[in-house]
Amino acid sequence: MKLSEAWRLSKTCYREMVYRSLAEERGRMWWGAFGRNRQGKESQDDLELTKRALKIAKFDKGIVAFFNIVVSIAPFVSFFLGASGFGLTSAVSLSLAVTFGFTALYAIQTLSSFMSPESSALLSTMPLNREEFSVITLFSFIRSFDYMVAGSIISQVVVVAYLTGSPAATLIMLTASTMNAVFAVAIALCFTRIFQRNMLRGGRSKASTVLRLFFILMWGLLLVAVGFLFSMPWYIIPNLQSALLSAGQAWSLMLSLLYPFSAGVVVTALVSSVTSTALLSASVALVGYGLLAVFAGKWSLGTVRLVSQGVGVNIARVSAQDFSIKPRGPLLGYVAKDLKAASRNPATAFFFALPVIEAVIVTLLNSNLETLRTALVLVATCMGGIFALFLPLALLGAEGKGLEYTKTLPISSQRIAVPKALISTATYVPVPLALGVLSLFKPLTSLYALLIPLLMTLAVASASVFEIKLFLRTAAKGKIASVLNDFEKLFVGVLVVMAPIVVYVAAFFATFSHVLSVLALGGVAFAELATAFYLLKR
Amino acid sequence: MQKMLEATAPLIETCKLTKQFGTVQALSDVNLQVMPGEIYGLLGPNGAGKTTAIKTILGLLEPTSGWIKVVGLNPAENPIEVKSKIGYVAENSIVYDSLSPRDFLEFVASVRKTDRAVTNELVAQLANAFDMAPYFDSPIATLSLGMKQKVALIASLIHQPSVLLLDEPLNGLDAKSSRIVKELVGFHAQKGGAVLFSTHIMEVAQQVCTRIGIIYHGKIIAEGTLEELRSKTEDSVGTLEEVFLKLTHEESEIADTMRTLREAFFHNEAK
Repeated sequence: MKLSEAWRLSKTCYREMVYRSLAEERGRMWWGAFGRNRQGKESQDDLELTKRALKIAKFDKGIVAFFNIVVSIAPFVSFFLGASGFGLTSAVSLSLAVTFGFTALYAIQTLSSFMSPESSALLSTMPLNREEFSVITLFSFIRSFDYMVAGSIISQVVVVAYLTGSPAATLIMLTASTMNAVFAVAIALCFTRIFQRNMLRGGRSKASTVLRLFFILMWGLLLVAVGFLFSMPWYIIPNLQSALLSAGQAWSLMLSLLYPFSAGVVVTALVSSVTSTALLSASVALVGYGLLAVFAGKWSLGTVRLVSQGVGVNIARVSAQDFSIKPRGPLLGYVAKDLKAASRNPATAFFFALPVIEAVIVTLLNSNLETLRTALVLVATCMGGIFALFLPLALLGAEGKGLEYTKTLPISSQRIAVPKALISTATYVPVPLALGVLSLFKPLTSLYALLIPLLMTLAVASASVFEIKLFLRTAAKGKIASVLNDFEKLFVGVLVVMAPIVVYVAAFFATFSHVLSVLALGGVAFAELATAFYLLKR
Repeated sequence: MQKMLEATAPLIETCKLTKQFGTVQALSDVNLQVMPGEIYGLLGPNGAGKTTAIKTILGLLEPTSGWIKVVGLNPAENPIEVKSKIGYVAENSIVYDSLSPRDFLEFVASVRKTDRAVTNELVAQLANAFDMAPYFDSPIATLSLGMKQKVALIASLIHQPSVLLLDEPLNGLDAKSSRIVKELVGFHAQKGGAVLFSTHIMEVAQQVCTRIGIIYHGKIIAEGTLEELRSKTEDSVGTLEEVFLKLTHEESEIADTMRTLREAFFHNEAK
């Protein structure tokens, strides 16, 4: 089979994957069965849904690719601005590190729908030999990352070619960028596979739960690391540059052995002078990483084939010792179900790391300041609130087809909304807590500033309710377009969170009084909460 | 339950129930009554309107016209009360894939506010009967269709409802489990409950149901016990399948179709 033919055929698997992920996450059965107004229209909508799913996936890939290009170029910006203290070695290393994290994160998000033999179920019935099957499956997998991987590789190679004018350095950069993408995808595949295996294994063992929690935290920390690398290069690059290039220091030698610094050292060595020890160690390391990338690529190929054939999944049937269950009452029962369902889905489990991320970001934002400024409290509160707003949509997404079942239970839409709003509000709680702890160590510009994150809890809860009600309203009416478009719900949520802060700022500039500004913020937050209650009761 | 036995009012009642999807008439003037202690079989070919009828009775679909009463309540006006009195098994078992049966049943029992001790006893008996021990803590995603159906069946019985709406409940079940489900349905009726049992399998309807309604193109074209249906076709010994084909006038259609298929099949082979 020609590769072009395999690439063309892989679109069918890819389409199925994209459709499946959107359908599963958005409860396709729910709107399909409950939103039908006209039989003919519904079947049309099925076709439209598939097309829409592909369009959304393309848009999603495009946006992510754009950000990946931005983050891959960002470390090189200093060269164009003529800033001092920025070197090629650290810029290359940082660019590779950031794109690695970004690609791995995106891959983890999208892989959950791929990790099933169902994505290539149709393909497996076709008269294809093993190799053809593997190539088509691999191509369908590559289609998920093609834009972002190609974007980052091309941008890194072009920037290095422009800055160095050296074909050899450009070639090394091309190799390093390709290796980077291979590593990122392999790591994502490995993480998702372990997560899926852990989930599929079942049982009630504490080890499984701990492992799942560990992964959630790992993803959170990975995101923090990427965010840190992206937002802090201006602080760390000068130190990194000097550390990498100072001769005779043992730890600089060690850094040159580590990926991706070794790539940075080798690229730089081709256009400027680098200590011979560092160059030697980096070159040896880079060859080693090259071999590792070949291994990782082969492993990914094999794993993709195994996944698509449903091989390698170990399901342990641990016989239940008893059949006892613990009914908890509707609210707690729903909260427990939401937590379990979302934490077992790799694409949504990640959101449970948000409290960790929020706490870290709030602490980082304030770490370099001697006083806890009201402006920073506002920024931290706003960021924490916006992070928390991802959760209601993730929880609704995690319901998937189960929403159809929920509709058969004696439960109101209020009961569906409240647990999700409670969970998302709970994920925001680390923000006021972190700010409270920080205030013990740093003086506040105004004591009233501490009331801001507390009052904003009401705004976060209200915003969550608004998002959920919008989702349920559009889903119940079967408006597929609205259901698929989470952005509008998120946008409404962000507006609700921002409104009290904007009012605070306006009130402060009008009165220069923290008391009145906090009162104004509280007034808006309470008004939003009242509206949320009204919406819930309707 | 004693009250239900004494009651003479139907537990499920529809009057001139119509459901239209655009130009498709899914249900047309459906009148049916299911009394306490009765197992009403809704029998019809694929696409006849069985699932639409059940979903409309449950309140998941809004009728275009006509009315419904479940235990004397209108599902459109009292959706939560009606759903609390119904146990429902969908045609394709719908459950949360990432949860285990234990987690799922815990969720259902929590929402339905069941008594812990009673629920545990019931769940233990049903799970034992269905040999669920090896699967009780496995993610539902890893279970077979039959096992998922068992989970859905237990969930439908967990609150001991007075009305059971079962849409092809034997889908994917093995012989033993099918037998258990049939017996369970019988016990439910004996206790005074009402069952609306949708199926397209004639033998099942013949074995399980006390009364059968034949639904065809959204209409109940005949209703009664097997004997009553036989009398309508003037065939005193025919099986339910024969009676069904006569009532739906599909006998001659099948003969024509088979003749065409036979010709095509052997013609292709000769080539």
